[in-house]
Amino acid sequence: MSLSEELYREFAAIVGEKNISREEYILAGNRAQTPEIPMAHKSADAILLPGSAEEVAQIVRLCNKHRIEYVGVVAGCIPTAYSTRENSIIMHFKRMNRILEINEEDRYAVIEPGVRHIQLYPEVRKRGLSYTAAAVGPGGSVLVNIACTGGDHHVQYGTSRPTRYLLGVEMVTPEGEILRTGSLQTGSGWFCPESPGPSLRSIVKGYAGNAGKLGIVTKIAVALDRCKGPAEIRTEGISPHHKVFMDSDCSRVYVFNYKDIQDVCRAMLALGEAEVCATVQKYFYLPLTLMMTDSANEFWKKWTGGYKEALSMPLVVHIAAHSLREREYEEKILFDVVRETGGERIPRELEKWWEEHMDYFMIVSRLQSVLRLGGSWLPQKAGAESVQHMCDVCESIGTYIHDFTDTGKIFDAPENYQIIPMEYSHFASNELLIMWDRTDPKAMSYVGELGAVSRATDAKRHFYSSSPGVAGKAGEATGRLYSNVHVWMGRIREAFDPFYQSGL
Amino acid sequence: MLFPESTRDVQDLVLEARRTGTPLVPLSSGPPHFHGASVNPAAETVCFSRMDHILQIDRKARYARVEAGVTFGALIPKMREKGLRLNLPFLPRANKSALASALEKEAVLIPKYQYDYPDPLLTLEVVFGTGDVFRTGSASGPGTMEENSSDKVLPWGPGSVDYYRLFTAAQGTFGLVTWATLKAEVLPSLSRLFFVQAEEPGPLVRLANHLCRERIPDELIILDRRNFAQAFGDTPEEEKALSGAAPWIMLCRVCGFDRYPEERVDIYSGYVREACAKFDLPCETAPAFLPCTPEKLEETLTDCDRREVCWKCRRGPERELVLLAPPSKTTAIAEAIRARFPEAGILLQPQVQGRAFRVECDLFPGEGEAAAAEAEEALFRMARELMPLGAYYDRPYGRLPELVYTEPVSLDAIRRLKKIFDPDGILNPGKLCF
Repeated sequence: MSLSEELYREFAAIVGEKNISREEYILAGNRAQTPEIPMAHKSADAILLPGSAEEVAQIVRLCNKHRIEYVGVVAGCIPTAYSTRENSIIMHFKRMNRILEINEEDRYAVIEPGVRHIQLYPEVRKRGLSYTAAAVGPGGSVLVNIACTGGDHHVQYGTSRPTRYLLGVEMVTPEGEILRTGSLQTGSGWFCPESPGPSLRSIVKGYAGNAGKLGIVTKIAVALDRCKGPAEIRTEGISPHHKVFMDSDCSRVYVFNYKDIQDVCRAMLALGEAEVCATVQKYFYLPLTLMMTDSANEFWKKWTGGYKEALSMPLVVHIAAHSLREREYEEKILFDVVRETGGERIPRELEKWWEEHMDYFMIVSRLQSVLRLGGSWLPQKAGAESVQHMCDVCESIGTYIHDFTDTGKIFDAPENYQIIPMEYSHFASNELLIMWDRTDPKAMSYVGELGAVSRATDAKRHFYSSSPGVAGKAGEATGRLYSNVHVWMGRIREAFDPFYQSGL
Repeated sequence: MLFPESTRDVQDLVLEARRTGTPLVPLSSGPPHFHGASVNPAAETVCFSRMDHILQIDRKARYARVEAGVTFGALIPKMREKGLRLNLPFLPRANKSALASALEKEAVLIPKYQYDYPDPLLTLEVVFGTGDVFRTGSASGPGTMEENSSDKVLPWGPGSVDYYRLFTAAQGTFGLVTWATLKAEVLPSLSRLFFVQAEEPGPLVRLANHLCRERIPDELIILDRRNFAQAFGDTPEEEKALSGAAPWIMLCRVCGFDRYPEERVDIYSGYVREACAKFDLPCETAPAFLPCTPEKLEETLTDCDRREVCWKCRRGPERELVLLAPPSKTTAIAEAIRARFPEAGILLQPQVQGRAFRVECDLFPGEGEAAAAEAEEALFRMARELMPLGAYYDRPYGRLPELVYTEPVSLDAIRRLKKIFDPDGILNPGKLCF
């Protein structure tokens, strides 16, 4: 159904004629299938480009009045960033793309939803600061990444998940009110995420984000850390064929390979207890080999020519110390730990690749471009708990995945999971990345089978392998196992979303 | 007073209270009760003193799971036996509940271990005002606590709501928390304590901001001379000697762990000295005014207050104001407090990687209700005056709700949430905005 002329005019009156469109060639671009999100999307009836929280609030109220679904979009990297039904509009936040403040003394940046990592990261980096630039690539929205979706990142060993870096929040509620949380509530600035007393921060984001279901976030403050590693990163080449160098005596990169994930676990815990190293992670070897190569042919040559074995269980470590002496001290502990846990340094020519790509912000930019060489891909599990528990969860993958990897149902890379510790190994996140042949008509059913076996194994062993989804009938069944969380989530949605029961 | 011994008991109490319309207020620490959150004449008190079991201390995953009645005095020695330590508040009294301290977001001493304001609180079990039992984060499931094979340490969720944030600084208005998992850290095997003195708070705040940004110190606290002497002087003579310090003093500790501890302490001591030189501040490990060994003072700093009268009560009844401020506003706030109350004790504690400071102003009005009321009124007036300077009251005790619950949209939102978890309003009514 198309919007009536009258309603279209009402929307246009809010955002201005220049910032609304119902042209087919515009709408088509926002329902396109991609290798990352291969679903068919419904077409929205119009796309609006609001310029402020006040305009967003007016749009929400108008949608509510006419029972129109609205979807907030920035980069379109996730399935929830698309219209799911007719009689809907898209709010695209490309106009709300301002970095409003970078406060170096109090270490936060205030941004709008349209700010991409490629905007913010260089700005804070040149001030000697950094933030939790999650593994979404330079084009991803910082705000969506930190406030609205999940989001683990590759340097969280010495920091934490992005959820810990979300400070003050401004959001438009499903009723069209502008809600401010944390210290913003009392006009005390952006620095603190917690409301006075019980915190409204609770409903902005849990382990995962709400993807706009409890409100559209229009501004956030992001906490900043001192940048670990050298202040300047030397680069060579043009993306994706570029290299980045951390030219500093205080910075070193090492990669060790292991045979047993429990040994990796011991190494992660020992390094965390000693509070050494800036980055520690067990990376997935399939995307790694893809990133190390420039074509499918080159990939296959190297994958079958020894890379698979040499990188089967890589522990990647970045040391970023304040001084040469501290670097040497950390290296001493690192090598002790690796020796005690049975790790072996990978061949120098492979390790060198990491030295030339160790800025994770840049690595992810490369990851996005080369994943497609493998066809389709899907993360499984994607949860977090203690380091030991995550290693146990990943170890169990070996009990069922060979039925799929050995038979060609999915790519033959059974250890293709990553484990990234956070807060010096207090917790870790995990992610099993599977890839398959997109041209195989049965492939999706294999992927479905694997997902079912994975969930059944986790349930049987009572693993906390991922944070439970609580939507729909499946969510109801899951929620019962998790303190009836579906009941409480439903009541919260009902309290804030006037159309929750009607399913709009 | 009601004394539950199990979660089931708490659940029964809540269900009965719902049936009869009886308000309940939780109490988990011994006296004195500084902020009055657990005092509610209109309610029956649910005292958790019998729920005092240490449920688990795990060295590998670095956590402790404790019932609500477990005190710092009981927990700290058990943690040490396992080679662990808590990120403690500054000299909490020995009978203070470790769980209540975390729920109340008391300022911690080691900002580098704190990544978020509720830290070190990880997961918890709560009985809502509906009578339902709920567990947060990875303690939520799958299945029962016994079935769930995880360490139950992940704070976030389950799902897309951070439930545990609803129970922090909530003064028991959203649910009665029966146990909690607290993050623990490795016990250092070697350490060194630095004393940095200054005439004004500003230089020390700037130094603390720098050190925390670089993630160098373990414990770090800035005290005015009065609080410093009162906290660490065991006798009047010691207190007098400690009063010989400069008007403001920063304590900063660096630590080494199991592997090459001497080297780490040496390297990090160098960083502290370099930073002090950069800010032109003197840095000592054994200042002349110390009446005891630095090691003894360090022992006090890293434990709870086990003395017969806790440090805050040594000058009689105490009234305090607690606030948060970003680093850029902290000095002006401290100076404003000093200008208004020359006799006040003041604490400045960097929190959450040093991105904010917890500021505490302690008044000692003497005996008598009239004096106490006068002090409370003076603190409230000052609280109002400090807001334009950047003071933020995230733990609004007493009359502070009058200052912080003024914005209608957020007020409406928090009341909607309260209605979900305590539909009959039986939990600590009259507190906060409920």
